[in-house]
Amino acid sequence: MTDIDPLIRQSVASQSLDILRKRAESLAQVEEIEATAEMFALLCFRLGSEWYAVRIADVREIHNDFVVASIPRVPSFILGVINVRGEIISVTDTAALIGIASDGVHGGQEMSSAIIVHSELCVSALVVDEIGDIIEIRKDAVEPPLSTYDRSQVEFVSGSVYVDGRLIGLVNLEKVLEPIGEKA
Amino acid sequence: MVEFDRSAFIKKFQEEATEYLQRLNEGVITLEGDPENRALIDQMLRDAHTLKGSARMVGLIEISDVAHRLEDIMVKVREGELRYEPKMSDSFFEALDMIVFLSENAGKDVSGEVDIPALLGRLGTVAGAEAEPAPVATASPEEELQADTETHESAPASVQKPSKKAVHDEEKLQARVQNTIRVRTEQVDKLLNLVSEVVISQIKDEQRVRDLRSLQALSNETQQMWVRVRSLAAIAQAGPRESLDEDIEALDQLLSDQRRQLGVIAKEYADDTSRSASVVADLQERGMSLRMLPVSTVFSTFPRAVRDLAKQFNKDVELEIEGGDTELDKKVLEEINDPLIHIMRNAVDHGIESVADRVAAGKPAKGTIRLAARQEGDHIVIEVTDDGAGIDPDKVRAAAVRKGHISQAEAASMSDREARYLIFDAGFSTSAIITEISGRGVGMDVVREFVVVKLKGSLDVESVPGKGTTLKLTIPLTLAIIRALLVRVSGQLFALPTSSVEETLRVEPSEVIRVEGREVIRRQRRTIPLVRLRDVLGLESIPVEGKKLPMVTVGFSGHRMGFLVDAFAGEQQIVIKTLGSHLAHVDNVAGVTILGAGEIVPILNVPDLMHHARQLTGMRVRHEPVVRTSEVGSKRILICEDSFTTRELERSIFEAAGYEVETAIDGALGLAKLREGLKVNAVVTDVQMPNMTGFELTRAIKGDELLAHIPVIIVTSLEREEEKAEGINAGADAYITKSVFNQDTLIDTVERLIR
Repeated sequence: MTDIDPLIRQSVASQSLDILRKRAESLAQVEEIEATAEMFALLCFRLGSEWYAVRIADVREIHNDFVVASIPRVPSFILGVINVRGEIISVTDTAALIGIASDGVHGGQEMSSAIIVHSELCVSALVVDEIGDIIEIRKDAVEPPLSTYDRSQVEFVSGSVYVDGRLIGLVNLEKVLEPIGEKA
Repeated sequence: MVEFDRSAFIKKFQEEATEYLQRLNEGVITLEGDPENRALIDQMLRDAHTLKGSARMVGLIEISDVAHRLEDIMVKVREGELRYEPKMSDSFFEALDMIVFLSENAGKDVSGEVDIPALLGRLGTVAGAEAEPAPVATASPEEELQADTETHESAPASVQKPSKKAVHDEEKLQARVQNTIRVRTEQVDKLLNLVSEVVISQIKDEQRVRDLRSLQALSNETQQMWVRVRSLAAIAQAGPRESLDEDIEALDQLLSDQRRQLGVIAKEYADDTSRSASVVADLQERGMSLRMLPVSTVFSTFPRAVRDLAKQFNKDVELEIEGGDTELDKKVLEEINDPLIHIMRNAVDHGIESVADRVAAGKPAKGTIRLAARQEGDHIVIEVTDDGAGIDPDKVRAAAVRKGHISQAEAASMSDREARYLIFDAGFSTSAIITEISGRGVGMDVVREFVVVKLKGSLDVESVPGKGTTLKLTIPLTLAIIRALLVRVSGQLFALPTSSVEETLRVEPSEVIRVEGREVIRRQRRTIPLVRLRDVLGLESIPVEGKKLPMVTVGFSGHRMGFLVDAFAGEQQIVIKTLGSHLAHVDNVAGVTILGAGEIVPILNVPDLMHHARQLTGMRVRHEPVVRTSEVGSKRILICEDSFTTRELERSIFEAAGYEVETAIDGALGLAKLREGLKVNAVVTDVQMPNMTGFELTRAIKGDELLAHIPVIIVTSLEREEEKAEGINAGADAYITKSVFNQDTLIDTVERLIR
């Protein structure tokens, strides 16, 4: 966890410190055995009744309570843009992109939580219904995406992990963060 | 121990080398005309020397060897053993180009592609027959490095030693007066982002000061009211007074304290805010100036470019540069290079006559192109003047008529000036894409479009037949700040650059005339088509108060259009920000700005708006062919593209133009669809795709008897000539690169190929 923005440490870590501590306690014994396996950290979030996650390394910060300025004639999964300390960042309707039902509060312009993620090329704020835990999983625990997903969903969900009785979809940021309209 | 990361240094070297190479290139040109220029010779010697040393430091031995030979030559020139001859320039350029190539391919083995020993040999010959037998080229890096750092080289001592010494002394001197630092532009931009946030909070502060003042006024009123109430209470009071008196006294004290304190705070706050206002304004101005660079940073590559062009077109041309120290925003500078190169290519190719023609016309054999920059108010004017044949308006008329661009009658009624302007009209020079394939360069319409859309400037032409042509480029100093008109549409604010707004007015509904299902108004003996901005932007209609319709008239490339809005919301200076890295391109929106209150407002792209408005209403500009709706309806396109967003974008472009669209997410699936019998009129494909690339797909289609007739259009970001060549070799009918791609070119190209 060396390459995490200090801001995330603040916001994410403070939110989930308790959970982490509890998890750490319960996992303490198991970890000893698994210490050699390659691990990576995920930040979970809820969309409607489902859980998804992005790699912590791709998360820049968490942005709360903001107003989105809408931009005309953008794809429907782009809600608009926000101003984060002078930088304009697009707001992605994650649920619409993946094609599932969310809490549906997106009709208004006030949003509660978004995870600002970045790739080498792009930055975007993913709107989520609820920010969840940070979990550490083994690399080999990632399963291929569900066969029930249709093609367009598979593009945005690259796999899934099964944790504590919950199936968590891994969001394929490479696809989500593809520049929009670049060739036009 | 941390591993030595050479790649990071190579990047640094490449950045640094660009500067030296640039200067050496310029130097060669100047030296041709002024072979005795001592200062220049010294500087070129220094640059070659530094290049040699830094290349060696990062392990690019081949570059170091080539630079070393250049240094050898310059040493001899400096010592007077060798006189700089113009014929030496070719070897110099060859060497400099080689260094550029080697630097770009740093770390790769390119010995198969280029012959360095041969070049070194040729450079050795230039340095003179008595040149030392290349000891350094073969010396091990360590030895050389050592020799260098100790400032004395073992080789031909008598000549090199003193000059070497001088070089090093001067370098030390330079280091001491070094007063600039290199900063990544990204960092400057981040800083400017923060500065604009400070500006916004300053504006909010100023609002707070006003709020405090009104609070103060409120408190004054309360005080006066209290004084009245207290005196009334004193009179009307009957019964137990003591406790009430105490309360009144306390309240009295509180109120006056409160009032006094509020007064102090309000005053101090107002003072502080006005002090910081001037600091913030200064900060903003200086921040913006960080991005300003002299135009010479771009101009300095042109002498070499013009020399190469002159050679290519077999002309004799000299380039004169004026006003190189005029400063421009870095972003503008970056964008200005390409249009200027195109203009100069045109000047060399079409402007300047052949030597024989010039002599016959009584002109000096050598043609002159003058490149001059100057500041005029908040604009920069750049003029490219050639003393060539000029633009013959009759020839332009004839060409325009021949291409079906205008009718004979229209041509006859045009003034010479209007006729010359035809060179800027879209489609006058044959299409950007098809010509790009044949390598004939880009038409002036594309140059002009670029200047207007990207640089928010204008391009004009003046020409005297037989005397020459002047192209005048007028562009704003910075792209970061513009004046904008704010309008309200469907409850949302939008900004329109004032530069493209012709007028604003309120139209009586009765003035609106309906013609062929379209709405127009008559204004100053012209008919202006009306479009509702909310329709173009795809926004909901909401009820608006007032009977008169607020309208903004915009003009672009000679066309006017009136956009109906819900309300005007003032005019102001705005700072342009991009839509962020994710939204690389959005129709109709050029960027956003943040208003004082922190509200984000989209800035509209006027040419784009007019284009979409035309699509929306089925309006067509004068010369565009009428859409053959019935024909188009039956046409089908196959799009092969692995990127979801690009695929959907292309789909929407074609669907909007009335095509049926089939898609495939890679070449293999696309080919399978075609082989299964899918009938399409054209295939539009990306290059880099999994399973089967666009080139492979093209080859497969063109190699299949049943499919070979289908036109294939490659749309890609690969812009290198070799890649284009590969696309054409594969049999592609058109190759559209990202830089010229927009929906018009795409549709135009496809329609031309299908026809």
